[in-house]
Amino acid sequence: MLNFKKVRLMTKIAVYEKKDGKEDIHLSKYYKTDYVRLQVLKSIISVTVGYGLIIAMILFYKMEYLVRNAITLDYKLIGTYILGFYLMVITLYGLGSFLGYSMKYDASRKKLSRYFKLLKRLEKVYNEGTRES
Amino acid sequence: MMQLLEFRERVKNFYQRYDVYLIPVMKFIFAFIAFQMINKEIGYDARIKSLPIVLAISLLSAFTPSAIMVLLAAIISVLHVYFISPILSIIVFVIIMILYLLFARYTPKQGYVLLAVPILFLLKIPYVMPILLGLVSTPVAMVPTSCGVIIYFLFQIIKTAVTKEINISIEEIVQLYTHVIDSLTGNRQMIMTIVVFALIIMVTYFIRKMSFDYAYEISILAGGLTTILGFLISYMVLNISNLILGMIFGTIVSIGIVYAIHFFRLTLDYSGVEYAQFEDDIYYYYVKAIPKISVTVPQVNVKRINTRGREFSEPDMDDTGEISDYSPDYESDYDYSDEDDSN
Repeated sequence: MLNFKKVRLMTKIAVYEKKDGKEDIHLSKYYKTDYVRLQVLKSIISVTVGYGLIIAMILFYKMEYLVRNAITLDYKLIGTYILGFYLMVITLYGLGSFLGYSMKYDASRKKLSRYFKLLKRLEKVYNEGTRES
Repeated sequence: MMQLLEFRERVKNFYQRYDVYLIPVMKFIFAFIAFQMINKEIGYDARIKSLPIVLAISLLSAFTPSAIMVLLAAIISVLHVYFISPILSIIVFVIIMILYLLFARYTPKQGYVLLAVPILFLLKIPYVMPILLGLVSTPVAMVPTSCGVIIYFLFQIIKTAVTKEINISIEEIVQLYTHVIDSLTGNRQMIMTIVVFALIIMVTYFIRKMSFDYAYEISILAGGLTTILGFLISYMVLNISNLILGMIFGTIVSIGIVYAIHFFRLTLDYSGVEYAQFEDDIYYYYVKAIPKISVTVPQVNVKRINTRGREFSEPDMDDTGEISDYSPDYESDYDYSDEDDSN
């Protein structure tokens, strides 16, 4: 005999696992701190690369000027500027991704708790079924 | 109107029955149009331009996630440019990398916007994108839209830059590079477009979020109005009046397209049939879950205090006692309260 209540529950669970659930379940393998730290690290790395590319483009753009004034340039000042902007950008992106990914993790946890509720209900249906037979 | 609704119902039924095949076909058509447009615009390399290759990559992107399509389009564009000028292709590559690393990677779900905005620009209806994104997404969509605008203008500049004769001397390279960067950063039309697009997304989004009847329809119109006004002002400031007529016409067409999408969206979005496979100790189940709801218009309930004779619909309850979520947001939950075909 088909237990329709069970089928209904299982379908819900299966569909969730197939769609949104995939990411949520993947996220649930991390602790929040680990996940957020990893994402912040990732975005810091990507921002560093992006910033490096921008600096490279600017340097290339100014190359003529740089080559002409190679001796008289104040390298210390340029270095401080580059570093200062870098620190600013890093802080901005780090904070932003910290907040963003924390929120994302919490949201996925919320969805996941609904999923666990369904699982628990399924378990109950299972137990009822085994008791009857 | 009745006929239209009937037509929508028919489309819905058709979609429900064949959505497994329809989605790849639609993706194939979009990919094909996109790649053909790229080839038409910057098709310098005849090898990539040939029809079998275009068909092959369109087919590939029909069955893979949309990110692959965007990636393929980027690779093809860079290769086309590489064929005629390696230096320019490096510039394009670096700029795309910067856009990705600093901005686009934070909105992975809207990666397709990066491709869609330039393509719609070429089709003369770029206004579809901001209005649509305001309708279905959040203001975060400004990020990929701006990147898309930058990519479009970048390729416009590249198109003029490749006509310049290049010898492989350092000075020429620097000159070319300076020309590209100058025209990119000094492009006031591009900056204006980014600002206006951001404004359109905001206006459409906030009006759609308001709670009065027909908020969606009004937000589309308001988005269109913002488009016309914004670009009118920006074209006046920039003194390019020859684009105004095309812009107004394009906006009207865009409003029509967005309205059509909106008309079908909820039905199609909510009627996606789900196929699920699972097993227990006794059976294998191959379940086709068809949502029962036939929500046609987003139900905005305006609560009026002190008016008589107004009924409110109860929130729908499914058998689990949870209140199902029918909020018209794109990312809202589905409700699979009933299943058919269980064997």
